Amino acid sequence: MKITDACVYPYPLGDSSVRRMALEARKLGFDGLVAAATASGEFAGIEVYSGILIERTATKDIINRVRREKNTKTVLSVQAGDNAFNRAMISLKGVHIIRGIQLADKTAFDHVAAKMAADNQVAIDIDLSPLISGRGISRQRAIHRYRDVLVLERRFEFPITISSHARSILEMRAVREIAGLCTLLDMEISDIEMALSGVDTITRLPVPAVMVV
Amino acid sequence: MSPRPPTLREKRRYILAYIEPAGINIDQKDLYYVLIDAITSLWGDALSGVIMAAVVASQDRYVIIRCRRGTERELVIALSTITTYRNTPLALRIVATSGTIETLKERIRGIKIHDPDPSPLPECTFEKRQFLINQCNGQKVDVIEKGFKNTNRLFLTREDLEEL
Repeated sequence: MKITDACVYPYPLGDSSVRRMALEARKLGFDGLVAAATASGEFAGIEVYSGILIERTATKDIINRVRREKNTKTVLSVQAGDNAFNRAMISLKGVHIIRGIQLADKTAFDHVAAKMAADNQVAIDIDLSPLISGRGISRQRAIHRYRDVLVLERRFEFPITISSHARSILEMRAVREIAGLCTLLDMEISDIEMALSGVDTITRLPVPAVMVV
Repeated sequence: MSPRPPTLREKRRYILAYIEPAGINIDQKDLYYVLIDAITSLWGDALSGVIMAAVVASQDRYVIIRCRRGTERELVIALSTITTYRNTPLALRIVATSGTIETLKERIRGIKIHDPDPSPLPECTFEKRQFLINQCNGQKVDVIEKGFKNTNRLFLTREDLEEL
């Protein structure tokens, strides 16, 4: 099991270099990071996956982008939109994670989308930044949305990833602190472990149904 | 008023945390207000009253925070939501929990203090811009851009600077 933070923003998007973030991640108990707009590699014993976050644009552009990144080791995420958009993105081969579900509208992720996510092994990301730095209604809304997603996850068993969305080493949190924050979402320790290794699950090559020997 | 006998006193727990980044002067009282704000915002007034958090000591980069026994989990979660102190970004990293302040003070004494290395150069260049080296500890180098326009701190490593 590889404990991975599913999204950090190193320099120039943040104020810390990817090497410094890797050093900090090792100290905080992680085995890997998904770093936005950074080449993949290994720094300080931490596996750094290259991450691409596609903001909501025309579906055709997204399909082209996904096709371009298909055979690379990049973790491809798409910002959640309305229900139809999310369903389309989940069924698109090559998309790994749907992010920002807490910012989408209430009906953006329903049981049908959950079933599709489980079938296609597309993860739903739990962004901890609203819980860490948010206050008041924004934090309450995020907790409510995540709890709703986790109800569907328990039923349909689609992958979950956990990310800090840290733009600085000061925004990164230790694995134990992340586990503590996840208990606010009513997650059990086994669920948290599985979610922390979610990136490993979605980037692993699928086992073929028929194996030629 | 005579002090209560030990068996009738409330049981307390003490949490040792260190402050990231280095070089921030912490005032115990101000940190207490930040801490109470974080706890109240997350858990509400009722549970804040039960936790009874207080900053009881601070030494260099370390602070000792008190809470009622059995509420350590709630306090640690609230500590992880502290992101700024006097409008300066900071993080509190938990080191240990103990039943006595003395044990934690011993722990602080036992921690090998890494004196900041003498920086290789007072200035450096990164991404074609001039920076002043603020802190240099092992592989870690904190820099601040020269000039008065942008004084944000960047967190780099020696390798990042050597590559240029």
